[in-house]
This record gives sequence, structure tokens and C-alpha cells, in this order.
Amino acid sequence: MSSVAISEPVIDELRAIVGPTYVLTSKTARYNRTRVPAPFPVHRWSEFLPDIVVLPETTEQVSEVVKLANRLKIPVVPRAGGTGLADGAVPLRGGILVDIKRMDKILEIDLDNRTVTLQPGINMLKLNEEILKYGVFYPDDPASYPCSLVGGRIGTSGFSLIAGRYGHTRDLVISMQVVLPTGEIIEVGDGGGRKIRKSSTGFHLKHLFMGHQGTLGICTEATLELVPRPEAEFAAFFGYKDFESAYRSTGALTKSGLATLASVVLFDERKIQYLRRDDEAYIPQPRNLKSVIAVSMYGAVDEVKPAGRRLMQIAKDTGGKYLGDEVSQGDWASRHDRYATPLHGRLLDRRVVPMCWHCEDASINYSNIPNVMREWHEIADRYIKKYGIFDDWGCFFYTNAAYKPWGDYLSEIDIGIWEQKLNDKTWKAWVNCKREITEVTLKYNGSITACHGSTREGDAEYVPEEMGGGFEVMKRIKRVLDPNNIMNPGKNMLDNAYEED
Amino acid sequence: MSDDLQQKFVKKWLDNAYGCFSSGHKFCREVCPVMQVTRNENHSPTAFHANIVAMNNNGLTVADVAEDYVNCTLCGACELRCPNTLFTGDFYRNRTETVKVVKAMRALSVKSGVEQPNWKRWVEATIDKKSEPVLDVPIDQDRVADWAKELDLPIGGETILFCDCEAAFYRTSVPKATAMVLKRAGFKFGLMKEQWCCGGPAAEMGYVEQAREFAEHNLSDWRAVGAKRIITLDPHDYITFTEDYPAYFKNGYDMEIVHITELVAELIKEKKLRLKKPVKRVVTYHDPCRLNKRKGIYESPREILRSIPGLTFKDVDHVTQWSYCSGAGGGFAVERPQIAEEISRRRMSRAAELDVDILVSACVWSERPLTARGKELDSKIEVRDLMELVAEAAGLDYGGVKT
Repeated sequence: MSSVAISEPVIDELRAIVGPTYVLTSKTARYNRTRVPAPFPVHRWSEFLPDIVVLPETTEQVSEVVKLANRLKIPVVPRAGGTGLADGAVPLRGGILVDIKRMDKILEIDLDNRTVTLQPGINMLKLNEEILKYGVFYPDDPASYPCSLVGGRIGTSGFSLIAGRYGHTRDLVISMQVVLPTGEIIEVGDGGGRKIRKSSTGFHLKHLFMGHQGTLGICTEATLELVPRPEAEFAAFFGYKDFESAYRSTGALTKSGLATLASVVLFDERKIQYLRRDDEAYIPQPRNLKSVIAVSMYGAVDEVKPAGRRLMQIAKDTGGKYLGDEVSQGDWASRHDRYATPLHGRLLDRRVVPMCWHCEDASINYSNIPNVMREWHEIADRYIKKYGIFDDWGCFFYTNAAYKPWGDYLSEIDIGIWEQKLNDKTWKAWVNCKREITEVTLKYNGSITACHGSTREGDAEYVPEEMGGGFEVMKRIKRVLDPNNIMNPGKNMLDNAYEED
Repeated sequence: MSDDLQQKFVKKWLDNAYGCFSSGHKFCREVCPVMQVTRNENHSPTAFHANIVAMNNNGLTVADVAEDYVNCTLCGACELRCPNTLFTGDFYRNRTETVKVVKAMRALSVKSGVEQPNWKRWVEATIDKKSEPVLDVPIDQDRVADWAKELDLPIGGETILFCDCEAAFYRTSVPKATAMVLKRAGFKFGLMKEQWCCGGPAAEMGYVEQAREFAEHNLSDWRAVGAKRIITLDPHDYITFTEDYPAYFKNGYDMEIVHITELVAELIKEKKLRLKKPVKRVVTYHDPCRLNKRKGIYESPREILRSIPGLTFKDVDHVTQWSYCSGAGGGFAVERPQIAEEISRRRMSRAAELDVDILVSACVWSERPLTARGKELDSKIEVRDLMELVAEAAGLDYGGVKT
């Protein structure tokens, strides 16, 4: 389908729905709701603009906007924080951009049943500031904790850095209200019941509406888990003589079975080289320190203290050298702010240039990590040499599964891209580089994306391959729920669902 | 002409803009006082930088973007919260500049003929009266020093107390209390022959040439009376004198600028000022954005509060206060009064959560809007200036407080 031009009468209808102040048509309103922090072909910015922006405040307004769009077959792109590292919130066909940031109210705090019900435009840090006084917190902790919003976390099925202990977004959202592509408002959970965590009634629809990247509707309310504020945090950084020993130690730590273990993060040798460029935390470390592991635990003092001692012993026995309280506590505390800094970018001749950041987020099994890492770096090196605008910022491997942090890892190769030099040729080179990285992931039976979503060029093309027969089911579901393909069209190869027509 | 100006502007700020654009993470957004209220991405610091990239290679013009840059109180929180500043800033000697960008864009807008109606009126009235058109109060240059009538203060000398427009014409209790405190401590100072507006608000609204005329008048007045040192009682003046004036006059500007909280904290420490009268009130402190976020002055006001006997001081960390603002700065309230009002309402509700009966500020511009919002609360929180409280603790009767 193609977008109809949004005519003046349509704009008037939108104004009637959300109020004239909250329908935006200016160039800046549209330009600033186009890109996300993922690599972006800035030279083609104007190709990705929405036609119009609305800022609704209520579920009913969202529903009316969607009904209007469905009637007129106008694309709708939902946008929360716009902090994603893939292109879920980037409009591909223009249309109406539904920016949910004004939907940021806390609706109910239920301390008896440990839930908070809210609108999805709220940020997790802000939420936790509000509920601090009750001794509870909402433990969804991505690197973007200070800026991403609950709605985006749901739309992407986000990854939490402390999920080994508390679970990811999908585990922490108990139920939600969703506006379907035809405008109906429904509630989905495991079964029914806004505050029920486990059910065998019907289909488990919550999972269908988790991580669909805005292709199946718009979340307008969510009921979230509240957990007791932990009494104790244990954070430890260990240094190793090489990647091999750090990798083996990671296996031992994650398989320790300690219930308070929240995360283990493995830094490869290229990551340490990258950090040594300028990160003061690592400069004082001896040169023979080549690889690092960060470990965190949360819980009651009685649990965390002895478990921390056990972890220290395991790390020591497997070749780890504790890097001290200052590095451990300081670096763990600043885990959000280190999210990425364009100032670290270097060209081959070591010249510093500001670079944007590609953050690969494949899910890879433990046993395949060494091969995947090696092959990814080889790909990156080839493109760096050939094009002179890329940079390899090393790899992180984060424990990936909720509550059972051992079998697979969010595997991240970080690649810097000198955005100011992007043109058709270099953008194509980047997409090819990305495709090669993705192919390695699939070769080793991994998943393309642990948390950002398969919406980027270089990822999306591989969705049918990764999903196999499941992709046919995805297409059927998409057609049934969104007969006119208005919801975030062009994403996840779901346009294929309409090809038979 | 306008194209040339725009090109020059883009060239100057493009690298700074890319530093933000290439990161794109928007850590600034949730600390931005305007964004917290409007939730409109156009008003985010990230957008202020992205627009410059779009002006560079996607054909946006100053006319397309000018209005968005109204939505900023110039509080500086975004710069502090920027990961580029926080974590690699020292190493690369880099600071994400957003306040300067907003001011420069406002100046470019005015020069390009894109003006905001209320700012235009405000600056015209300031030029006419030589002091700011402080709302609802008649402004007359003959009355600029009326607050000091009974204090017998000299004109001139090495040290001059500069009294802000809002303080001179509206909350006169602040300069009066300040002057009495300094006299009590035996600190010698005088007033200007004729004080004009510092010019800071005009500069913040984009009227740089007009702002410079005020600066020239004030500097020549200071020189004429032999001043070497200027005491500011308003944080906005402190910014103007330490950032704008040096930019206007370069090496020809050799005034020492001292902010009142720094001076009074010193006088207390040196035991030149003794605070003996207990003030039995429960207070919290509002970190004025320009002191805390832009100048790193957050210790001296707290030292002063802790030295007042009888006071119960419920402090909120100055980093937590990065996301607080009264809404009064950067000309914002003149163009967007309703949003500014909501910003001050939220600030007061934060104070109300602490069960205090006074919110102490050290910024006279914040005190009028915060006072109004404090009256709306069930708990009726009063707003006092730090110097008013100091005067009270020093046993000085400085007269009535405008509420």
C-alpha cells in the first residue's frame, strides 16, 4: 500500500481528536521524530520523515487516531523515547507519527499485589524516583535507563542489565492495554486479569504484543512488576591475562547457580584496547590485563554477602584478578552513562573523529562465542581498511536469559561509523558489513537480535530465514490484525504478508 | 545576508552538534525542565543540535527552527547530564555546549528578522526604561535605588553591589537585606551612579547588540566610580558579568565578579558576620539553575543555611536538583508563561513532599513564581531569599517581603 497525502480535512480530524496544540506539522517536528541512535543515512534524512505528528494523552485518542488512519489507509508509526538502537521508530512510509511521550502518568500503585499501572510514556528512572518512598522499584535496567520509555521497552521487548536476577521487560510487564491496528482497545496478559502473572487460559497474548515493533498496535497502558528494593548490591570487575581465560571464567561464574546473580558481562580484548584509548578506569591497569568480566548481584544482605564471597573465589580460581572496589563500584554505577560516546571514534591513522554507534545485539550460545567473535572482527577489519570511515570498538557478551544466566549471551560488537562521510556508496558498504555480521550469527544458530529488534537494513532481510515456518504464521497474524498494513509498514519484512493480493 | 549568517552559524556549531547527533541518546531529556512538562521532542536539547545538522545538509533554515529555541530556560542541566561531558569530557577537553547554542540561535533569529513578539516588546521596554519591565510594577529609572533610601549607602568605591531589576523594583527586601548584612559585617561597598539593566535578558532573547549597550553603560559607570569588584545578588547577573561581558569587552574587562553567597559564606567563616538569632523554621533549599548547574556554586548557600541557628534544613542533593527549575530563566516565562508556571508548580510540589514551611532560594527571579505556586499548596509553603534569612538570623529588620 502507499500513503495518501495527508490533506487539510484529515489534519482537522486529527486536531479534533487530540486537540490543535498536539498536532504538529512543522519541519522540525517531523525531522526530530525520524531517526534513532542507530546508524542512520543522514544524507537521506528527508526520505524518512513522517507526514504529521500527533501527541495524544489518552488511550481513546490513540484509538481514534488509529481508526482514522485505518479508514484512510495512512501509515501509523508509534514512537516512545526514540532511543532504540534499531529502526523500530523510524518511519519508512511517512504517515502519522504517534508520539506517546505525553502519556506519562502513573495510574495506580498497588503495594499489596506489588504492581504499578501506568501510561507507557514514562521513563524508568523517573518512575523509580516516584516509587522510591514505598521501598519498591521497577528493575528494568537497560543502558538507556535514564532516557528510554516503558512503551519502547515493550515495543522492542527490551534487555535489562540485571535480568539474571529480575527478568527482562517481557518478564516485568504483567499485562497491558493495546490499541489494535483497527482501533479496538484490548487488554492482554498471560491470560486475563490485569495483575495475574501466570495463567493457562487461552493463548498467551502478552508475548505476541511484546517486541512487535509497533507492527501490531500501540501499547497505551501497562501493569508492571514491583520488586523490593534490594538491601545489597555487589559489583565486581575482574581482569584476565587473555580472552580465553576470561571466557572460561564467565562459564564458571554463570553456572554457579547463585540466585542473586544479576549479570555477568565479558569484555573481549578488542574492547579493552578500545577502552584504553581514553577510559581512565582502565589506564592504570597493567598491560598484561587483556580481558575483563563484570559481575553484579542484588538481594538481601544475608544472601548477597556469602554469595559474593563465593563469586570472588570462583573468579580467582579461574584466573581472575579483582580490580578493586573503586573500579568495580564506580564502573558498575556508571554503566548507563557509558552507553556510547561518539568522541571515542578513531580512524586508521588514529585521528579522532565523532562517530555514531552500531551496537550489534545478537543472541549467541556460550559455546559459539569465540568463533562468532573472531569472525565478526575479521569482517569489521576488512571494512575498516577498505572504506576508512569505520572503527571496531570491541565486543561485550552479556548473560542473556532471565533468572538462568548461563546458556546464551547478548553478543555485541560495537562499530563506529563516521556519519558525516555517509553517502550512497558508504551507506551501502555499511549495510553489506551488517549483513555479513548477521550471516555469521545465523551460521552459528544464533538470533539476529536479543533486544533492539530486527528492523534495520542488514537485519530485516534475514527475518524469514531465522523464523523459518514461523514466519508464515507471523504473516497470517499480521494480515488478520492489520488488514490494511497501516501499523509501522515496511518493518520485519511484514509487507510480504500482503503480496498474495 | 541571512544565508551568510546561517552558514557561519552552522559552520561554527556543526562539530558540537554532531557530538550530540552521533550519540543521539537523549540522556538530557528527562532532566530538562521544559521537556518534563511539554513532553514535546522539539523542545529537547537533542533536537536543538539535530536541527543544526539538518540545516547543514537537509535544507532547514533559521525560519524553520527559530521558534523551537524559545523552549529553553538556559538552565544548563542538559550539558551536565550529557554522557559526552560526563565521561569523556575531561579527556578530550570537550563539553557539549547547548546553552551557548540556544543563545546563538536566538541571536541569529533576531538578526535574520525572525522575532518573538513578547521578547521584542520586553526588550523594547527595557531599552526605553533602562531597566527591565518587571511585571505589574511601575518602572522608573529615578526609583532604581529607592530600595536603599534609608540605608545611607555611598555611591562608588572599589566594590559595587549590583542590584538586579526584579530586586530593585519588586522584591526590594532582597537587596535591602543583602546591604544590611554586608554593613553589619563591616564590609565596604557602594552603589552605581545609575544602574541599568545588566543586559543579560536581552542577550538571552537574542538581542545582543541591545544587550551590549547596557553592558557599555554599566561598565563605564563602574569605571567612573573607581570600581574593581562587583557583588551580584542575582545569579543571572553573575552569568552576564562573567560570561557575556568578557565576550563583549575581551581584554578590556578586568572586573572581579563575586557572588553574594560566596562572599557571605566567607564572612561567616571569618566570624565577621555572626548569626545569633535562632530562626525556628523547617526549610529546604532551591538550587538556582545558574548557580548550581552553570557555575557549580552549591556549597556556599548550604554552608550559610547550616550556620543559621534554630533552622531545620532538609537538604536535597544538588545533583538531584539538576532536573529542578523555577521556570523563571532565559526569557522563557515571558514567551511561554503557562509552561513556566507548571515548571514552578512542580518545583514547589517537590518541596511540599519534604514537609517544610519555607523554600529558601538564592535567585530573586525564581522567588515570585515560586511564591505564587507555594500559596496554591495546602501546606502554604513560603518562599524566602537566602539573604532575607541571613538578615533575620543576624537580628536585622529589613522590612517587608513582597509575596
